[in-house]
Amino acid sequence: MDQFLQQLLNGVTLGSLYALIAVGYTVVYGIVQLINFAHGEVFMIGAFGSLATWTLFFKGQTGLWVLPFMIIGAVLASVAVALLLERVAYRPLRNAPRLAPLITAIGISVFLQEAVRLFYPGAKSALPFPQIDLVTGAAFQVGGITVRRSAIFVIGALVVCAVLLWFFINRTKMGRGMLAVSQDPDTARLMGINVDRIIAVAFAIGAALAGVAGVAQGLQNSNIDFFIGFMAGLKAFTAAVLGGIGNIYGAVVGGLVLGVVEAMAVQFIPGTFGGSPWKDVWAFVLLIVVLVFRPQGLMGARVVDRA
Amino acid sequence: MTTTQSRAAVSNPRPSSQWLLTLVGVVLLVVGCLLPWAFVPAILGNVTVLLYPGAMQILMIIVGAIAVFFLLLRTGRFAAADRLLDSARGLRALSVTAAAFMVLAVVIIAMQAPGLANADPGVYVSLVGALLMVAGSFRMPSDPKVDPITVHLPSWVEIVVIVVMLAIALFGAAYALGQEDGTIFSLFLLFLAGSVVALARAGLFSWIGVIAQRNRRVITLGAFAVAFLFPFTQNGSDANMSIATQVLIFATTALGLNIVVGLAGLLDLGYIAFLGAGAYVSAMMSHSAFATIGWKPPFIVVVVIAACVSSILGLIIGSPTLRVSGDYLAIVTLAFGEIFRLTVNNLDGNNGPDLTNGPNGIPGIPELEIGSFNFGDTHTLLGIPLGRFANYYFLMLVVAAIIITIFTRLNNSRIGRGWVAIREDEKAAEAMGVNVFGLKLFAFAGGAFLAGMAGSIKAHQDVSVTPDQYIFLESAFLLAAIVLGGMGTVAGVLVGATVLKLLPEKLRFVADYRLLTFGLLLVLMMRFRPEGLVPSRRRALEFHEDDTKLAERIEEAHLEGMTKTEGRA
Amino acid sequence: MQQRSIVRLGVPLAVAALALSACGSRDAGTSSTAAGTKTVKIGVIAPLSGGLSALGLGIKNSVALAVKQANDSNAIAGWKFEVAAEDDEAKPETGKNAATKLSSDDAVLGVVGTLNSSVAQSTVPVLAAANIAQVSPANTNPSLTQGADAAAKKRPYANYFRTCTTDAVQGPFAAQYLLSVGIKSVATIHDKKTYGQGLVDAFTAEFTKGGGTVVAAETIGEQDKDFSAVISKIKPSAPAAIYYGGEYPQAGPLSQQMKSQGLSVPLMGGDGIFDPKYIELAGATANTDLATSVGAPTESTEAGKKFLEQYKAAGYAEPAAAYGGYAYDAAKAIIEAAKTALKDAKDVKSARTAELTALGKVSFDGVTGKVAFDEFGDTTSKVLTVYKVDGGKWIAAKTDTFK
Repeated sequence: MDQFLQQLLNGVTLGSLYALIAVGYTVVYGIVQLINFAHGEVFMIGAFGSLATWTLFFKGQTGLWVLPFMIIGAVLASVAVALLLERVAYRPLRNAPRLAPLITAIGISVFLQEAVRLFYPGAKSALPFPQIDLVTGAAFQVGGITVRRSAIFVIGALVVCAVLLWFFINRTKMGRGMLAVSQDPDTARLMGINVDRIIAVAFAIGAALAGVAGVAQGLQNSNIDFFIGFMAGLKAFTAAVLGGIGNIYGAVVGGLVLGVVEAMAVQFIPGTFGGSPWKDVWAFVLLIVVLVFRPQGLMGARVVDRA
Repeated sequence: MTTTQSRAAVSNPRPSSQWLLTLVGVVLLVVGCLLPWAFVPAILGNVTVLLYPGAMQILMIIVGAIAVFFLLLRTGRFAAADRLLDSARGLRALSVTAAAFMVLAVVIIAMQAPGLANADPGVYVSLVGALLMVAGSFRMPSDPKVDPITVHLPSWVEIVVIVVMLAIALFGAAYALGQEDGTIFSLFLLFLAGSVVALARAGLFSWIGVIAQRNRRVITLGAFAVAFLFPFTQNGSDANMSIATQVLIFATTALGLNIVVGLAGLLDLGYIAFLGAGAYVSAMMSHSAFATIGWKPPFIVVVVIAACVSSILGLIIGSPTLRVSGDYLAIVTLAFGEIFRLTVNNLDGNNGPDLTNGPNGIPGIPELEIGSFNFGDTHTLLGIPLGRFANYYFLMLVVAAIIITIFTRLNNSRIGRGWVAIREDEKAAEAMGVNVFGLKLFAFAGGAFLAGMAGSIKAHQDVSVTPDQYIFLESAFLLAAIVLGGMGTVAGVLVGATVLKLLPEKLRFVADYRLLTFGLLLVLMMRFRPEGLVPSRRRALEFHEDDTKLAERIEEAHLEGMTKTEGRA
Repeated sequence: MQQRSIVRLGVPLAVAALALSACGSRDAGTSSTAAGTKTVKIGVIAPLSGGLSALGLGIKNSVALAVKQANDSNAIAGWKFEVAAEDDEAKPETGKNAATKLSSDDAVLGVVGTLNSSVAQSTVPVLAAANIAQVSPANTNPSLTQGADAAAKKRPYANYFRTCTTDAVQGPFAAQYLLSVGIKSVATIHDKKTYGQGLVDAFTAEFTKGGGTVVAAETIGEQDKDFSAVISKIKPSAPAAIYYGGEYPQAGPLSQQMKSQGLSVPLMGGDGIFDPKYIELAGATANTDLATSVGAPTESTEAGKKFLEQYKAAGYAEPAAAYGGYAYDAAKAIIEAAKTALKDAKDVKSARTAELTALGKVSFDGVTGKVAFDEFGDTTSKVLTVYKVDGGKWIAAKTDTFK
């Protein structure tokens, strides 16, 4: 039982990370029906943004007060990159055949990875992430299960972000504008909503959450490298589809489910097909099964057919 | 159908000042090339000899010759050609190329010699010439030209043009591959790109495109002759053949992917898995000491099995197409590619049965042997030794020929038209009675079959099969080859594959920036030329919907094609 | 129309004629060497760009140093050594291209490389076809010298030698060390690659034979970053140490996450984790982690110190890194063997077979210990060292000869 609870906690922690990134896919998809394949790289940029902030301004500091600055650094970096992408690469292609933005996104992914690898000092191999007092360090023991301090941060970050997001979407003018654009962009435009701006805001929101996720990943795994965006992005996309792409709360639920499935697969699938090496396979099998049998996802979303 | 209609109007009875200026520039450029460029022989393949131009100087003399040709056109004496070619635009591109080339040459001399003191006057004479050409040509007025589709030349002229083009391609490839020096290779590339752009600006290529359309058989046959003869230009050296063979394998795989993406419009981001499946099956059944399957059938059987295993995987991955489409499908295929990579990484006995030997892969795959012909040995033909890679090259050439035949036949068949219909509008196609699901499955299975075939040969050619050869980036490269070259065309894919595999091998000095450039290239292509370098006309229209002129021309070409076929029947 | 079909046939023929005439070149013997000296090349195949380039450039520079010294001392009268370095990007396919290029160069006598065992698996056959010796400073996969079947050892390629020891020696050495410090229960983790798995297999066999128990055996995927699930699975079995088969990019974070999850036992690994970067990634909690590495510590021996001094004096931009000493010894072995092979040879190509025979017989004191090869091409030196992390540095804990 302890093992089950322990793995559940591990899964929820991992899942929270996926959920934070998955929201970015889902928000953008809900509004422009575009899979921002480079979103994983935005997350990676966020992680490097916070590392750079720490290295430049707070090198050697481990106090908790540094953490807010690192989060701000991460969010600034990822939002800036995401807005730039939207403006330079995606906006000119908004009416192009659907292949074009997807291939652009692949190109951007490769470009961003390489740019970080080549031009961020020392990024050719993994870089250690700063350790922050109270957030990293020795684990708690609660009954039979071990609670890592970073896990509390990750889960907490998801909860805070989800509440803020809910507030933004349901209680602000801009948020309701987003809902309107996602339902019918043309009518929304006629109603005087600046659609271009709304789309940029959607990219920015996704990027901000990805930036937070970048910090969380750094603290959780104690190191970052230029390639973390690929797998994380793929998993987060899986989470978004699992929950129902376009549905923000679906993304959160999908992320948590995916994380738990992975953790449980390591512990409880017996025989040679269990264990850590197969966990990614099970995650992707889950994606394919969901897409084939329930394309609208667990939480349901309007199915957009853009073929 | 009149071909040579004498045109009375002569636009420039007397040479204008800009014409003269350009001519002076050309003369200076060529004269400079006959003089030495540098004191140090080690630079740019020795450009120190008087009146005996080195290779780099010859390139500029060629540019001069093309410029003279354009200048002659402008005298108005060659009406037929003048009507076809916009000489002013060609001249402009050409002079910019020459200027860029000369500046780069000076920079290279200054950097490698080192110091500008080692540059001889020749290089400056040529540089000044090139700059004069720029000054002259940019003040020349453009003249309107006739749409090449309405021009009909005697067929022998057309065929001579094709032969010349193919021969240039062969020489160019053999020469470029032979260059070890990165600076020379870059300069040659600049020359090549510049001349191609100049000729394209002048309208030569749209004319050649029309000719190629008319003489498709000739050009296919000729292209194969060129490809077949290529190993004979290598004097038994394996270094370039190894690259050439990899280019062919890559191109063959990309052609298979082109069926799925280019024709049926189904984006497949995990295609490398099919190549991998073929390679793994072939490796597991080979005589390697690490092979995991005891049964060793003859190679031809292995090829069939490998291709079938691949196409079964293709069917499996194609089956969700019934339910999902568009971007979702792209992600399903991407997930499938990852599942393949992870699975071959896992199946080593520790995790799952021991089939693929895990991350270590299956090394030590023996050479192919068909009958008594061992692919590892050097064979001599017509006194020219052909090494190990040349053997695989010929084999791949045969496979490529088969695949190209299948591709073009399918493209022009009911199935191909069905695919295109699905690509353009799935719902409409279904309403017109196209079996959408069946055709999609067939595209996946067929594409996978071809990749499996290529993979089974790749395993032997590579000697070892490892999971890290079949990562997502490779799928992205395949896709890029298609996008770069032009979706849905054979020539485009061949061009794209060659560019993507050859450049990194030769431009080793920028090796670290290879992927960065690749990413940027994809973005820029999608932004500015989404239809690729050698687009199919229909595809180009999809990306430029508001280009009515292009639409009209395609319509015309189509009608012309129809009347021709009818006339023949 | 008939005329047209004639032309059609003519096209390929015309192109053929053009093609066959395309083999002339202008320069007349520009690359002449000084009279009387002939050139012999030592190839290097290593990752000179990309993530592992630090190790690869160290290998290349060390070979260049050995070659420079041989030329300065005029090691073989009438012959001048040259380095021909090729990049393999740590990829088998690129490595094969590099090997093909070197094997078509008639002046190449031997090749130092590769860094990765997987790359060696595709370069060795290519070089074997041309009878060129390959001496690796870093490949630890036993099958390269002893064949696929560990039970029935059979040398697959006669041209392959290595100056480093294999996994089959390092794993048991680690097991003996742990037993000697009183650790009896260990959990193993490996990354499934040849290197990691080989280490763990050899470790486990020796460890259980010596009376220890392996309480848990897990594997991880090569791109995993988050090891919480695996660590949680191992933790209840309460091991006294973790033996990890793999390399530092994963071992560092694994050690860090282990300890932050309350599993505070030492992590031990092979030379793949013996790198300053490991300590950087594992953070402050890495103290008492262990690693084995081949040979005595380079800076502890006279020869090693001398090598590092000379390397520094030669002014290379990159440090010698983990495999510099082995690469230097590998190049020295090729040069040493060439003394016999090239003595009466008129060109390099004809001396290649003699070189292989001579390599099997070399024996001299190198930077990393005695350099000599057994009947499989493996080094006969079995000196190893256990290092321990102490205050952010690797400190040699025990140097011994493996029995």
